[in-house]
Amino acid sequence: MTTTNDNAGADRKIVTFSLAQQTFGIDMRALIEIREWDEPTPLPNVPGFIKGVTNLRGNVIPVVGLAERLGWEPSAIHARSCVLVVNIAGKQAGFLVDEVNDIVAIGETEIQPAPEVETIESSVIDGLVRIATRQKDGTRDEKGIMVLLLDLDALSLTKHLDIAA
Amino acid sequence: MSDEFDDIQAIFFEECTEGLTTAEQGLSAMQGGDVSAEVIAGVFRAVHSIKGGAGAFGHADLTAFAHKFENVLDEVRGGKIPPSPGVVKVMLSAFDVLSDHVECAKGLAPRPADQAALDALEQVLANKGADDGAPAANSAATVAPVAAEPPAAAGEADEFGFVPMAVSLDDFDAPAAPAAVDGAWIVTFKPSRAALANAGEPLLIIRELETLGAEIIGVDTGTVPSLRDLDPEDAYFTWTLRLPAELPESDITDCFDFVAPDSVVEVRRDAVAAAPVAEVAPAPAAAPAEDDFGFVPVTAGVEDLAAEMQRVVEQIAAASPPIGSVETPAIAPKAGAGDAQQTIRVDLGKLDLLLNLVGELVIRNSILADRLSPADRQRVELPELARLTRQIQDNVMSLRAQPIKQAFSRVPRMLRDLSVETGKQINLETIGETTEVDKGVIEKIGDPLTHMIRNAADHGLESAEERIAAGKSPEGTIKLSAEQRGARIFVRVQDNGRGINRERVKAKAIEKGIISADAQLSNEEIDQLICAPGFSTAETISNISGRGVGMDVVRSNVEALGGRVEIHSVPGEGTTFTMILPLTLAILDGMIVRLAGQRFVLPLAHVLETVQPEIGQVKRTSPDSEVIDMRGEYVPVKRATEIFGLNDDRQVEDSLVVIVESEGSGKVGLVVDTIDDRREVVIKSLDQNLHPIRGLGGATILGDGSIALILDIEALVASTNRYTPKGLAA
Repeated sequence: MTTTNDNAGADRKIVTFSLAQQTFGIDMRALIEIREWDEPTPLPNVPGFIKGVTNLRGNVIPVVGLAERLGWEPSAIHARSCVLVVNIAGKQAGFLVDEVNDIVAIGETEIQPAPEVETIESSVIDGLVRIATRQKDGTRDEKGIMVLLLDLDALSLTKHLDIAA
Repeated sequence: MSDEFDDIQAIFFEECTEGLTTAEQGLSAMQGGDVSAEVIAGVFRAVHSIKGGAGAFGHADLTAFAHKFENVLDEVRGGKIPPSPGVVKVMLSAFDVLSDHVECAKGLAPRPADQAALDALEQVLANKGADDGAPAANSAATVAPVAAEPPAAAGEADEFGFVPMAVSLDDFDAPAAPAAVDGAWIVTFKPSRAALANAGEPLLIIRELETLGAEIIGVDTGTVPSLRDLDPEDAYFTWTLRLPAELPESDITDCFDFVAPDSVVEVRRDAVAAAPVAEVAPAPAAAPAEDDFGFVPVTAGVEDLAAEMQRVVEQIAAASPPIGSVETPAIAPKAGAGDAQQTIRVDLGKLDLLLNLVGELVIRNSILADRLSPADRQRVELPELARLTRQIQDNVMSLRAQPIKQAFSRVPRMLRDLSVETGKQINLETIGETTEVDKGVIEKIGDPLTHMIRNAADHGLESAEERIAAGKSPEGTIKLSAEQRGARIFVRVQDNGRGINRERVKAKAIEKGIISADAQLSNEEIDQLICAPGFSTAETISNISGRGVGMDVVRSNVEALGGRVEIHSVPGEGTTFTMILPLTLAILDGMIVRLAGQRFVLPLAHVLETVQPEIGQVKRTSPDSEVIDMRGEYVPVKRATEIFGLNDDRQVEDSLVVIVESEGSGKVGLVVDTIDDRREVVIKSLDQNLHPIRGLGGATILGDGSIALILDIEALVASTNRYTPKGLAA
């Protein structure tokens, strides 16, 4: 399954990926690169969702299990596991995801605010957007799927670790 | 677009910082009595370039203030205002305000109140600094040039519509006047064809020069061809002008800013002793080789002038014999300074990258050494390669090294402020400010240094009355020094004040619950208490600092740099704080060890020895604590695997115990699986992308691209009772 978008007036590109049977999206501008999963060097004294650190061309960057970070079951590593390397407010981090799907353009107006849910931290879901999908046989699924847009700043590791520390 | 502007502006601010440093050093030197032309010119140039940049970026307040300051400096440089202590004092305060203006331009501070400083500068300008006993003799030179005798034959120049004016030669009669010492400026100007084609009207430039007091002393018409060959669009004239000696050269060159580059512009000092004007004039002919023009002095007036000059020159020569040599120092330092400080501005990021690459090279080198047989090593000249690599590494490190002066430079200003706030008289002595340290270290010691200086000024030094009562001189002294010892640098802040009041410190520590009431402490242990968090002995916490308030911050900052703080105090004689820091934050000599199979780097500086424990050598003293018997000395043993929560089912007898020495806890044994290697590693900070992690000093990338974490020994071994001195109840 790939996600597509035929809307005119699209002004934002997002990368969609699956995690815990959901489809998530992050802003394309924050993405540095997508890498294959490579076992990172574990760190002591850090929350469990931080899988460790890895070497990104001479930079030491943390690798985060995004599923755990969002409260889902930890991802099982498989052949299509990927690490999305992103830039959050000048810091680089890798997010482990189950599978990267597509890059789609969306219009700002299509984004619906995420429902207010009571959680300990402020929501890391920036908004929801529906994306029409194309099935493998080429037919359009008009119902589309829901993509959860992640608020990377709210995910910021530093912020979260300050709370944890 | 605006990013680009910001980048350029960032460069300007960096230059401002450098300029301010230079200016401050110059002013401090002047305050100390060194009022040589070189020093004054240095300060002038610094302020001048700040003004220039500020103007270009539209920082109006900064420009205006720098301009006024520059005016005063210019007069001082021209010898019209004597650099008396009073004037230097005004300039020092002006410097402070200038720094504030720069901060304001950066958006880091509100606009400073500069009126008082402006008034003071104005005052100095108005009365030529005479209020503090300036020698009246200088006033002769300050008289504006007067057009005394209009040249007889101005006709030649008339077609351009200007009236030549002459310098009143009477002014030169005062033998001590600096204007007479330096030769007048002689400017040769031959616009090019291109300049005329680009509407570079020579008349406008000559008029501008005239407003500065220029006088045309010659127009070379020798290159004008016959009418038949005349190209009306070409330029044929060469003007020679004389300008008053006391003008700064930059004022003259500024006039030529927009002249096409292929025009001939020469600005030089008239050779006073040797030169009647007629002989000076042919000199410019040497410049453009293609024009073989015979220079003809055109006006009769010039000849009169030449005769007059000759007379004056003879008078001056009689009054002060070595006149010929005087002009040399006036010009030489400027040229010399330009040559000596050939530098290039490099983005620190690029240097870091280079350092990383060199680090990789070092690692590759050692891998190569491991894999080659001894015979092959010789064949590929591996030792030679290793030596080269080491040299490259040392050189790259030295590129990042900067004199610690940069960190020290803001101290004088701070002390001036503190002096006002506390009403104490404070002298500053600096030693070893040329000691070179890695730029990263310099940046990070700023805050701890500030704290220590403030502490010393506020609490270390007594008031003048107290000092007199104690039989000391009323002025307190703070000594700031830096020295390198091996791979460490020692930065000391020493005051000759009252010393630490140990009774009060101890009482306070008991009151705050930092130590128990019956604790027996040595003097050193008591002194260390002021670095404990939340400790303050200041009865009323002043707005400056309390000794103790912030000292814990100093200590943790310094420890974060891999350094430590030592305190030494003698009651009644003063206190010395010593920061002992690594020279660089970039490379570390480390031991690669394994903990539960994972590789870690243990900083070699901490390692005393390694032991393979025999059965029974490690003993339990409680369910959670062990000691190792080291030749009769029982050393506590820590398992890093436990602290880090790693799975480890190894027997201690199968492991190695590395005895490390830590600042806070003395000797401690660390249990590791094995030791892999010893090598230099390039330190990568974890907080760059993550967050500092307790027990880790960073990470490094090994030769195979994998990551090894660097152990922070201090934090590891002191993890349970970090701030509690040995043997005390917590």
